[in-house]
Amino acid sequence: MRADRLPSLRRVLRDHRRAFWIWGAALVAITVFYMSFWPTMGEAMQEAIRGMPQGIMAAMGYDRMDTAGGYLNAVVYALLGPILLLVHGLSLAVRLTAGQEEDGTLELDLASPVPRARLYWERLAGVWLLLLGLVVLVSLGVLVSNPLFDLGVTLPNVAAAGLGLWLLVAGFATLAFALGAASGRRGIALGAAAGVAVVTYVFRGVANAAGVEIYADLSPFSWFLEPDPLANGFHLPSTLQLLAISLVAAPLGLWRFLRRDLLV
Amino acid sequence: MTAPVIRTRGLVKDYGRTRALAGLDLEVQRGEVYGFIGPNGAGKSTTIRILLDLLRPTAGEVEVLGQAPSQGGPAQRARIGYLPGELALVGRLTAREHLHHLAALRGGRGVERIDALAERFTLELDRPFRALSRGNKQKVGVVQAFMHEPELLVLDEPTSGLDPLLQHEFLALVRETAARGATVFMSSHVLREVETVADRVAVIREGRTVDVDSVQSLRARAGQRVALTFAQAPDPAPFAALAEIRDATVDGNTLHCRLHGEPDGLLKLAARQRVTRWTARDLDLEDLFLDLYRHGPNGADAEVPDAR
Ligand SMILES: Nc1ncnc2c1ncn2[C@@H]1O[C@H](COP(=O)(O)OP(=O)(O)O)[C@@H](O)[C@H]1O
Ligand SMILES: [Mg+2]
Repeated sequence: MRADRLPSLRRVLRDHRRAFWIWGAALVAITVFYMSFWPTMGEAMQEAIRGMPQGIMAAMGYDRMDTAGGYLNAVVYALLGPILLLVHGLSLAVRLTAGQEEDGTLELDLASPVPRARLYWERLAGVWLLLLGLVVLVSLGVLVSNPLFDLGVTLPNVAAAGLGLWLLVAGFATLAFALGAASGRRGIALGAAAGVAVVTYVFRGVANAAGVEIYADLSPFSWFLEPDPLANGFHLPSTLQLLAISLVAAPLGLWRFLRRDLLV
Repeated sequence: MTAPVIRTRGLVKDYGRTRALAGLDLEVQRGEVYGFIGPNGAGKSTTIRILLDLLRPTAGEVEVLGQAPSQGGPAQRARIGYLPGELALVGRLTAREHLHHLAALRGGRGVERIDALAERFTLELDRPFRALSRGNKQKVGVVQAFMHEPELLVLDEPTSGLDPLLQHEFLALVRETAARGATVFMSSHVLREVETVADRVAVIREGRTVDVDSVQSLRARAGQRVALTFAQAPDPAPFAALAEIRDATVDGNTLHCRLHGEPDGLLKLAARQRVTRWTARDLDLEDLFLDLYRHGPNGADAEVPDAR
């Protein structure tokens, strides 16, 4: 009965069921696959890292790759997880606003007696839930790998890292969603949101390599990664910083969405 | 008289520098079937999207069911059934799933009529969209617009894509809907598609109302095409001099002309010679329609009475 009161949300979940399981299976497989290298690679990795320029290695977060947790963090949480989830999350978010507006499939939903704002929030909730599901699957992949390959991470810390990853990716997805709703232009929304994600990702790396951490701290990727939740667990200030992206972007996107001409 | 169901006054809509509506006036009464006719690009879809609050007018007034669409909100849209001009249905979903989704957006209203309407229009509910032809997609649009029995139907070129048999069925549905007291506002770029159901017709061109009239009097004004064959070749000049005669031409022994008004003068003039054969047929409304497109009601043809 509850689902009937959220028809737009239910529709989003149903429309993306297939894509969800495909992405979920791929993410779990990739996580377990990379972790399976750890037992054989651990020593070679320690050797290799000692021979590399320290600045660059630190910039990429690879300086801690000589421990199991460091390797997991660098490969899954700092690289593959955010990148793959962002690729999926941004295109999902933009499709649910500008994409469906441009291809016209939003027209009957907008002409229905559902308030525009409600349509907006239910669809955004769909994005958050789908991304949560994928982060949970990644976390399960980590937890399965943990005893198999002797990674030595704890459940609360995996949960904390998962929360951070979710808030980071959902933050950028919310930005893309808001831009799509505000502009009605798929290309603009996707380009702008992806641009911000890439620039802040690269910016963090460059700032770290150059040793100017104050600048690096401007990047949402730093908010997620610097407290090192996999080692240190939940960290409230950085969690709030990550949440702030969405709390600012979502209402602004809605404000514009309520006021503009649709389907033009 | 009760308040009109749709009323616009001087409605203007600009898309950037393009003026799509340039002061449109409309008044649709409760229970009417109202044809909204104009060539492509005249501003029909723009008007309709303003009625549904998808677009906001640049200037002018608009009221639907007694309220501006931007004020009416969900409660107003709940009373409207809408068929878009270009219905987009894509993906893996079936017609049944989509119709249930649309009903859910209306709090479940109309679910119980999906099967009967689908059967009436021979719509296969369990096929995915990508396997549906254009005509079948249009049927989905018709079903969703009518299923919750709204008191106002706003239909943008509803018969496009339907084959003649289904057009017939659709027009029957429109008549039934009007019979239960609902108001139907339907656009078309072809008058023929609405003339059998519409009580009144508004003709628009370049974002302005150029004529509003009942179909009956439009038809009367369209006049007749008359052909009179004489024993000898007639002189067209005296015929052309009659006020109610237009386009008088002679082809062999036959005089062709258009008659607007009483035939009395024409018959008396013709009877001075021996008439061997005559035909008179009501002009297609399309002919009048083309005149309106070209000249507007106050155009070159003085015989066409002003609409207002
Ligand atoms: N999104 C748009 N952007 C710019 N111009 C538009 C847009 N939509 C329609 N127009 C223009 O507005 C005018 C009216 O269009 P429309 O309302 O679609 O006409 P109709 O439905 O009668 O064919 C046309 O000149 C059309 O080119
Ligand atoms: Mg149109």
